[in-house]
Amino acid sequence: MNEIIGIILAAVICWLNFVIVDTYFGLPEQPGVKGARIIGESVKERKGDIAGGFFQGNILCSPDASAGTLMASIGYLVLGIPGGIIAAFLIFIGNRLCADPGYAGTTGSLTATVLIFIFSFIGLTPEMFIVGMVIAILTIQGIDQVRASIILGKIAEKFNRHAKE
Amino acid sequence: MFDLVHLTVNSLATANVYGLANITISYFDMILDYLVAIVISIIIALILRVPLMPSDRYSFNVSAIFPTPIIAMGIFSFFLVLNYTFTFNGLLLAAIIGICSGLFVKYLFNYIFPSPEGGDDINE
Repeated sequence: MNEIIGIILAAVICWLNFVIVDTYFGLPEQPGVKGARIIGESVKERKGDIAGGFFQGNILCSPDASAGTLMASIGYLVLGIPGGIIAAFLIFIGNRLCADPGYAGTTGSLTATVLIFIFSFIGLTPEMFIVGMVIAILTIQGIDQVRASIILGKIAEKFNRHAKE
Repeated sequence: MFDLVHLTVNSLATANVYGLANITISYFDMILDYLVAIVISIIIALILRVPLMPSDRYSFNVSAIFPTPIIAMGIFSFFLVLNYTFTFNGLLLAAIIGICSGLFVKYLFNYIFPSPEGGDDINE
């Protein structure tokens, strides 16, 4: 497959994977640690959405499904499917060290491994998923944090996971 | 650069520097080994009276379906990629790892990875 098309496709797949898994496990609902609350409130002050702000703070403060997807791609590149599972195990340890129960990161890493395996049949390589995941995180944290938080807040409302404040 | 990574890992696995591997096992055996590790770890955890499901999405307590199988699968993957699968196509190793991860979750997990101070609710 053409590299550019593959990277764009991989970015979309990674974005959907980590946003859906993280939202399902309740990242927008409450800040896990103090830093996440500070980021959430700072985003709200800039007319963003508090749930999206908590989401951004949480994925910044501990390895959730976003880091899980990235590490699963790297593990898959180096060691194949067992590498993706090792990534899930390492993400779990990292989660516990960051005061996070670890459900989102581990699940995201395992689903990412399955997705990379499935899409390898149509020609998407793990390298494309690594680049795609970096682009996907850039759209959440890098380009426009306030607008991204509003989109994340709408997704959280659809999943019934919006912050209750 | 990526070829170098593949070459290094594959040559280490083929030359079997880290272990006493017998033969390379098939994909069917790998899947079977993973299933054995998962099922045995869950059964051992249940025998040791670890709860089956976590109580909620923010709970730090261990349970039989999380994180016991994750630990079993992760540790088994390390052995698999180093090509150290021991006898019976890896089934014995998978069973031993399943038993050990069940014991680990019951007796050692809270000592090594304690819950953050203040119990379940760590908001501020």
